[in-house]
Amino acid sequence: MKARALLAVVTCLGLLLAAVLVGQRLSGPEGAFIVWQLRVPRVLVGALVGATLALVGAVFQALFQNALATSDTVGTTAGATVGALAALAFDGSRSVQGLPLVTTCAFVGALAASLLVASFASSRRAHSSDVLLAGIAVTLATSAFASGIQYVSDSRALFAATQWALGQLPQVGYRGVLLLLPVCAVSSISLLLLTRHLQAFALGEELAHSRGVNVPRLRFLALGLGSLGVAACVAWCGPIAFVGLIVPHLVRLLLGPSYRVVLPMSLLVGAAFLVGCDLFARLVVPGRELPVGIVTAALGAPALVLLVARSRR
Amino acid sequence: MTAELEFLGVTVKIRERMLLDALTLRVERGQFVALIGPNGAGKTTLLKTALALRPPTSGSVHVRGSSVSKLEARVRAAEIGWLPQHIRADEPLTGLETVAASRFRFHESHAASRKAAERALARVGARDYSARSVTELSGGERQRVAFACLVAQEANTLLFDEPANHLDPAQQLEIYRLLGELWREGRTIVCINHDVNLLSHLGDAARVRIVGLCAGRIAFEASLDDGALPERLGALFGVQMDSIQGIRQRFIVPYARSQS
Repeated sequence: MKARALLAVVTCLGLLLAAVLVGQRLSGPEGAFIVWQLRVPRVLVGALVGATLALVGAVFQALFQNALATSDTVGTTAGATVGALAALAFDGSRSVQGLPLVTTCAFVGALAASLLVASFASSRRAHSSDVLLAGIAVTLATSAFASGIQYVSDSRALFAATQWALGQLPQVGYRGVLLLLPVCAVSSISLLLLTRHLQAFALGEELAHSRGVNVPRLRFLALGLGSLGVAACVAWCGPIAFVGLIVPHLVRLLLGPSYRVVLPMSLLVGAAFLVGCDLFARLVVPGRELPVGIVTAALGAPALVLLVARSRR
Repeated sequence: MTAELEFLGVTVKIRERMLLDALTLRVERGQFVALIGPNGAGKTTLLKTALALRPPTSGSVHVRGSSVSKLEARVRAAEIGWLPQHIRADEPLTGLETVAASRFRFHESHAASRKAAERALARVGARDYSARSVTELSGGERQRVAFACLVAQEANTLLFDEPANHLDPAQQLEIYRLLGELWREGRTIVCINHDVNLLSHLGDAARVRIVGLCAGRIAFEASLDDGALPERLGALFGVQMDSIQGIRQRFIVPYARSQS
């Protein structure tokens, strides 16, 4: 198992490095510019976003004891979508304090929707399944709201909204990295500190309670902190599907179910997975880039089915 | 002296259904209380109020003088541990990881948790399951691992919900022998039980308090050697009970449903 973990670490780091180096042959000052000003920050953003989405997925799956739980099922993504669509319908090019209005609104929307679910989750009476249901209800309600916005938007805003909803790693430069890094770091590090709490959930929520876990508080913390990181990622990149679902399952299948392994490895594998998918998106159609969200869904979903099928044998 | 565990007028009402009806029960330190009663009598609900899993509609539960609903979660876990009737096992963790996770209340390293988990697994005779995934264990094996979890938690008062349920006879006796061991170490134990005959395997069965529960109230209290016990159990379950003297112990067995 140790050798496997090491192999996984090396593979992931290799993939991250390859994403910077692979591409058109580059030389001279122009090449240096492309590598250092375009590729490196893009890889860094991809790594941050992939790591955060994957870790949060792993945490939510543990928290809800549900293999399908991700930030998409607790309303975070839907909240971001409403925020982004509202901004695009209003004025897509405007910015607030140097930040694009779309990003700001998506961030606020994601946090608002998740806080709604998190505050419900912190109620003493609520069970995990109720919280998941609340998340789905918020998702459906905000989706209806988003449809309403789209209905009154003009065609330019609609096109921008469609593009946003595909999910892609934007060219945000080092400034984007610097904005994303603290939020993702706070979210990820504090989630990693909850490993022991989540492991105590292994035999169910009631037993976790009897073992001394403050279940409502843990739910609030994990949902709040996880959503914070995801909100920042979705605000920049749009909803990138499947990373939070596939990566934790992949890690579990390769390295076993202990959260002490799954959580930190999800960070690394998530980073490599998204950067790898982005590399593929950059190269697959020459002269044109695909949105990475399409690649993660197209590659990831069948890969997951294959892996699960193999592990059942 | 304050009681180890005290239920004071505990009522639990869900919509119009009365699960517990102003129940008062005082359990002293080091006592063994066997809760017995028909299905739906409120036995599991009673344990859950002590765990602060089910807040009473009225009344309160106290552990060594403090209300369980006000205790900090880790402090409560140091006082009260629980072996539920049904063990969910969705996560394919190994037996060892599962037991180590039950050490949550201790501020200790993972290595220390694993050490304690190994000891607990050995103690309940479940060392063979430490490297196996709990999802692949049989019901009885999983029960053993859950028992090891409870041992590893090292709480003062232990609550058991039909610990011998679904086990074969050898395992049933073994579980009750272990219960007796924990009891003699000074633990206070409340155990839901459907078969008083198993209690004789505890070791010091005459000291066991048998508390009959019916419709959320205490119907009677007796000791195992009480001559009236068969009759009272019969009334509790709506059956006719016979008492048979075996070679080593007296057996109380039902032989017919009561005429009503």
